[in-house]
Amino acid sequence: MTSYVEGSPVKALIVEDMAVDTLVLSTMLRKFHCEIIVAKNGKEAVQMFLEGKKFDIIFCDKDMPVMSGPEAIEKIHALGETHVKIVGVSASDNAQEAFMSAGADEFVPKPMKLDVVRAMIQEVINKKTNDMV
Amino acid sequence: MAATMKLSTLGYAASMLSTGLLDEQFQKLLLLQDGSDPNFVVEIITLFCEDGERTIGELTKQLDKRCVNFDEVADFVHKLEGSSATVGAQRVKNACIQFLEFCKEKSRDGCLKTLDTLRVVFYDVSGKFKAMLQLEQQQAEATK
Repeated sequence: MTSYVEGSPVKALIVEDMAVDTLVLSTMLRKFHCEIIVAKNGKEAVQMFLEGKKFDIIFCDKDMPVMSGPEAIEKIHALGETHVKIVGVSASDNAQEAFMSAGADEFVPKPMKLDVVRAMIQEVINKKTNDMV
Repeated sequence: MAATMKLSTLGYAASMLSTGLLDEQFQKLLLLQDGSDPNFVVEIITLFCEDGERTIGELTKQLDKRCVNFDEVADFVHKLEGSSATVGAQRVKNACIQFLEFCKEKSRDGCLKTLDTLRVVFYDVSGKFKAMLQLEQQQAEATK
């Protein structure tokens, strides 16, 4: 699978406070040559957008200190950042509703599967390619 | 993974799988390790053991308070549930699920009892993980 669109790797933001989960997801994303940035909570993630950073996809945990995933998603959308694909990720049963209500594009239960991540990255690449045409 | 971990270590992991201490998620993690991330499994196991120990310490403190904040307790348990699901530590995950039920019921006794169970299963799997890593290190040094 190619992750380059005319020299532009997929920019992924991982919003996750647990190091184990961050490491697993980063390792998966590195296999698809993604450029990865990590925020340890929702507030850090929002701050990145306030600083003008751009991402193609966000993988966002639900329960984090300082600011939760759903709250961060609402704030990111309120900043006008609606082009970025937002994926809610959680081991909790009731997380899907919270994420979708907040405006996430998709929900994936933990543990994440490599095939699922691959499909999401490919979707982002296809969109980037179509946007360029 | 087979290219970067010794067969004896893989055998150790297989016995943890066959006894239900780990589930197929751990096998998927092994497959993620390759030449570009040769220490991936070691890092994952180390982080899981450190985070888990810290979480159990926090849970003990929280449940020791006169007035238990069950939402805070549940937050800690959710974290451990998530990381145990990620590494495939099935029994730890199941203990966390049970724990969360008692948090919902705001049952201090239920939480304390489940914390005991959680402690036992966590230290069982983390002890075996550490033994596996030691074996891996010994094998690596023996082949130098």
